[in-house]
Amino acid sequence: MRRQSLVKVLFVLPCVFAFTMVILVPFFYGLFFSMTNWNGVSETTKFVGFLHFGKVFTQPAFIHAFLASAAYTAINVTLVNAAGFALALVVTGNLRFRNFYRAGFFAPYLIGGIVLGYIWQFLFNSAIPALGKALSIEALQVSFLSRADSVIWAMSFVNTWQYAGYIMLIFIAAIQAIPASLMEAAKVDGAGYFRRVFHILMPMMANAFTISLFLTLTTSFKQFDMNFTLTNGGPATRFLDQPVMASQLLAMDIFNTAKANRMAEAQAKAVVLFVALVAVSLAQVSINKKKEVEQ
Amino acid sequence: MRRCIATFLILSLGLAAAVMAAPAKPATITMFQLKVEIKDALDAYAAKYGAANPGVTVKVETLGGGADFAGALKAKIQAGQMPDIFVIEGAGQYNVFKDYIADLSDQPWVKDTDLAFKANGKVYGFPVAIEGYGLAYNADILKKAGVDPASLTTRAAYETAFAAIDAKKKDLGLDAVVSMAASVSGGMWWVAGQHNLAAYWGGGLKFDDTSVIQKALKGQLDDARFAQYAKYVQLLFKYADKNILLNGSYDNQVSSFAQGKTAFLHQGNWVDPNLKQLGVAFKIGYAPHAFLDVEQKGLYLFAPSWYCVNPKSPNAAAAKAFLAAMAGTAEGHDYMVNQAGMIPAFKSVKLQPKGQLSQALMAANAKGGNYGVFFGMLPDGAGQNVFGPIYDLFAQNPAKIDQFISDMKKAVAGLPSM
Repeated sequence: MRRQSLVKVLFVLPCVFAFTMVILVPFFYGLFFSMTNWNGVSETTKFVGFLHFGKVFTQPAFIHAFLASAAYTAINVTLVNAAGFALALVVTGNLRFRNFYRAGFFAPYLIGGIVLGYIWQFLFNSAIPALGKALSIEALQVSFLSRADSVIWAMSFVNTWQYAGYIMLIFIAAIQAIPASLMEAAKVDGAGYFRRVFHILMPMMANAFTISLFLTLTTSFKQFDMNFTLTNGGPATRFLDQPVMASQLLAMDIFNTAKANRMAEAQAKAVVLFVALVAVSLAQVSINKKKEVEQ
Repeated sequence: MRRCIATFLILSLGLAAAVMAAPAKPATITMFQLKVEIKDALDAYAAKYGAANPGVTVKVETLGGGADFAGALKAKIQAGQMPDIFVIEGAGQYNVFKDYIADLSDQPWVKDTDLAFKANGKVYGFPVAIEGYGLAYNADILKKAGVDPASLTTRAAYETAFAAIDAKKKDLGLDAVVSMAASVSGGMWWVAGQHNLAAYWGGGLKFDDTSVIQKALKGQLDDARFAQYAKYVQLLFKYADKNILLNGSYDNQVSSFAQGKTAFLHQGNWVDPNLKQLGVAFKIGYAPHAFLDVEQKGLYLFAPSWYCVNPKSPNAAAAKAFLAAMAGTAEGHDYMVNQAGMIPAFKSVKLQPKGQLSQALMAANAKGGNYGVFFGMLPDGAGQNVFGPIYDLFAQNPAKIDQFISDMKKAVAGLPSM
């Protein structure tokens, strides 16, 4: 018996070791640094308490980044899940070449965020305005990325294009796990297609919604790579009477703060991001969990 | 398995023997630098230097082209792999890395240059090159439009010239008069928020007169001077190609000028290799950024970066010797000018660079009367995070000049607390 538990401990050890070294230690180290004046190099650091936390919430740029992240997340969660669900319905239906469509819808997910950002930047900045000129459509001639009011939507559109296929896969798996007899029985009882989707399919796959909402929520809130390559935070806009970057999300704001040698302040911002993310995602999961049906 | 162990033992014995057999004072100088465009030339020069100095090996690592060099350098410090020679780009980085920067005041090249990095009266950095800029012009287009580039020495002269060229845009095959990028989204905030703004910090003053930026670092803007500068920015934005201005990249900006679709280019001499690559055959020159009501004739010259030596390294002496050889020997001069295509910051160098803009700068440097570039004295991040969005917003709507002035006044007032 004792021997067996030793074996268990030995098996778990590498994982625990790696988790401790790359997640736990840096996390608490970071928490500590957020309360110092460390600049990334200096050997003498001073403890400053919650100074940075108070400071960041007086910066219009940071508040804007926070609100922009929240808006982006709200738009994104809705769009990605709606599109993913619609695609899942299409490719689980009676359709020729449906495996081909599944693969096709999933393919954008395989392209990395960096590459994808540059491709869509070209489309938005060069291809669409050129099209607008050729067809003399005024609205298309100025890039969507250089308008402060449309840039978040453009980013959400690109993210949906990339991520909907992945969420679709989760939904497909959930739909296939629902017994066909249920749907057939409803059909025999005279329920129309949309009635069956809303009253049987969706409640039965509530656990899939829990997962996919959680995934889209967290990835949107932490979005960095596509933000960096597609818009680089631009264009500028006015917020609280100060010029700020219209599409600079939280992660990029943290990155730019760190790049300006304000490591401790950046770390404080990262802690704020962490707390916000944990709070929102815990709330989301607990609400969703209540709606799941025991099978 | 046993054979594996045997091989391993033999290998490690061999290694040990090799280490013991090496000459008494081997030095491997590690160098970490950020100019991607000179990587090949520098690698070749380092190999040549190693061959000429037995026992010395120079290993060059390059990271640049928009990568976060200072961040990588910090990571190296944390990992205990601080290079012997590395690059700083200004006072902000000097303050961050000063524990790792040696005093170079006693080096032989110090009296041969005006652009060494100095702090508290001591020399800490070896100037990598001279870079500089004015408003580059396409001489052929200006000739056809009947504009004499030598007349462009006041803002009023620019106003007339821009209007004249703009009126003949169709005949000259131009999209717009000026190719300038200022957008955050295109990653070009530095053209406006660093290089153009440098005209306000140093333009029309003596080469080493930092009074205007010193005042700004205390939070004050010179209103009368800034009002003239703002009108110049407005003029540039008004005649700039809108697509390039609002979301163009470096490539968009440079290629528009290279293809003859714009008459002026707001870039420094570092575009020479790009223009060569794009097959530019027309004649190019530099006109001054003349933003004042009075005449201004100088160009803006500066050392954008400096090599520093890590005094904590056992190879510090060898690293200093490597830099001294670069500044003081014929091979070093050949590397800087002919191989790397740079303008050396050392007066004893007699070679001429090949690029048209570099030649224009060298001529201006010889003539004198140029202006210093002081944005390196600003706190880190001021250019990108503070001034960048202000210029981006002004570019979106150049009519709002009062807003631009009040935004800048507020931003400068915030500099002391950054």
